[in-house]
Amino acid sequence: MKSFRALLIKEFRHIFRDMRTLVLILTMPIVLVVLFGYTIKNEISNTKIAVLDYSNDSYSKLFIEKMTASTYFQIVKVLKSENEIEQAFQQGLIHMAVVIPRNFEENIIRRKQSEIQMIIDASNINIATTLDSYGKQITASFQKEINQQLSNIQPFDVSIKMQYNLSLESAYMFIPGNIALIMIIVTALMTSITLSREKETGSWRMLAITPVRQLTMVVAKIIPYMIISLICTVIVIVLGIFMFKMPMHGSIALLSLVCVLFMFTACSLGVLISVYTKTQQVAMILCMLGLFLPALLLSGFIFPIENMPQVIQIISHIIPTKWFIIALKDIMIKGAGLITVWLPLSILSVMTLALMGLSLNKLISKNV
Amino acid sequence: MEYSIIVEHLTKKFGNFTSVDNISFSVKKGEIFGLLGANGAGKTTTIRMLCGLLIPTSGTMNVAGYDVFTQGKEIRKHIGYMSQKFSLYEDLSVIENLELFGTIYKLKRDILHKRILQIIARLQMRNYATSKVEALPLGQKQKLAFATALIHKPEVVFLDEPTSGVDPLVRRDFWNMIYESASEGVTIVVTTHYMDEAEYCNRLCFMANGKVEIIGNPNDLKNNYKVENMNEVFHKISHR
Repeated sequence: MKSFRALLIKEFRHIFRDMRTLVLILTMPIVLVVLFGYTIKNEISNTKIAVLDYSNDSYSKLFIEKMTASTYFQIVKVLKSENEIEQAFQQGLIHMAVVIPRNFEENIIRRKQSEIQMIIDASNINIATTLDSYGKQITASFQKEINQQLSNIQPFDVSIKMQYNLSLESAYMFIPGNIALIMIIVTALMTSITLSREKETGSWRMLAITPVRQLTMVVAKIIPYMIISLICTVIVIVLGIFMFKMPMHGSIALLSLVCVLFMFTACSLGVLISVYTKTQQVAMILCMLGLFLPALLLSGFIFPIENMPQVIQIISHIIPTKWFIIALKDIMIKGAGLITVWLPLSILSVMTLALMGLSLNKLISKNV
Repeated sequence: MEYSIIVEHLTKKFGNFTSVDNISFSVKKGEIFGLLGANGAGKTTTIRMLCGLLIPTSGTMNVAGYDVFTQGKEIRKHIGYMSQKFSLYEDLSVIENLELFGTIYKLKRDILHKRILQIIARLQMRNYATSKVEALPLGQKQKLAFATALIHKPEVVFLDEPTSGVDPLVRRDFWNMIYESASEGVTIVVTTHYMDEAEYCNRLCFMANGKVEIIGNPNDLKNNYKVENMNEVFHKISHR
């Protein structure tokens, strides 16, 4: 225990004496979130929309006017029936259709619930999420305006229907994806680099001939990076929620559990890589090619997995990041509980246990 | 006669390549035992096996009274090791490095602090004590590494080319430290490329192609080959 503490203190000294790296690591989550957040979320103007107005009363006209008054939308088609909506989408004329139900004005005046339906073409996720929020914004300001005239009206029910990509896959995806990337960089990459650095300089050998156990050595080396990666994760989540309005419907405990689990996954991967490499450079390249790129490209982080060729879809199953992102998304966006995320959670657990066993086994049995 | 190291029929193969081929030797307590030979003769492999860093293919080793195979954990408390590559932590201070290794060897706090003070005084590092090790000149670093290897007062110390790249003046000083330790009863196994250093050893073991060529004290070897110095002994042996 005493030697463990000494090794842990030593590791923290390494980290705090290399301030530049520490600052770099801690600013990375901010940079990543801001970068992904603003590049993926693009501004949209003059989106072509269709309107289907069943009421045709003064309030429904006012609402439509409000929509066109903004620079966001441009009405290209006025529809007569529900059937024409699909047709307009298919012809590529519109990206969104707004349906105003019958008795719109009457419902408002009678303080009854009124519903506005927006059907959005979600085949382009980024555009769809933006349209979604614009539509809601306009509805909200419309509601406020009427409320000033009539007071105490029932809030509108805006029902958004995503067409062609029903669950709105990978909206806000960049937050779970960023957490995964940070975990891989801080835990896997940093662990493998720092472990191979000790091997490179020969200090690992110095320690290996002392009575201290290999396992103690490794655990003491990893713990500081685990702590840093958790700090980074919190930064990403907080930024995501407050800056990019990422929903957080699920339980924080479950979210933490999944994050800690993935931290162990990334850690085991880092140790495993360091076992097979002798130098920091090789460890770094292996982490980039073997962990970072698959996490970026094959996890559904940026590109939806459903659109990939069958072979790649199969390969994506063995990438832990994919399951991590699925679980995170379910918890944060859908508010899923343990029962819903049991599958990704158990797959991730099995992967982690296997990787941990493999890396520790390799590490301890190997000659130094 | 008390022996600190007894090696019998020790062999290490890496795949098809036999690095150490059936060697046997023993080292007396308090002796300075030199392992000599060209690069790839098997010196480093031998030392690593004796430290328990490499598992031998066959043979037996007894170090400090313990069997390396079955009592590996015990042995670690009684040996020290230092290699040609400086392997203390460059970004830690002199004191922090010594404290780290002292704590790992489970030295009591007061004993550890007394030893650290002694070491700093002996190495004349008072001005460097709290500065990072990377600021030290190479010679000082190597002396510090040697002192660290001795911090738990081991019975046997393995030095793998401890002085390579170090200037002659510091080498002289380094060997004084080796002598001091040996006089305190520490057994020292040292590999070197410098033949003048070989003269400082009590006994020498020449290795070539993984085999022991000859073992003897420097004077006997010189007489044996009828030459003036160790350099010529080395040439005679390696060009046989």
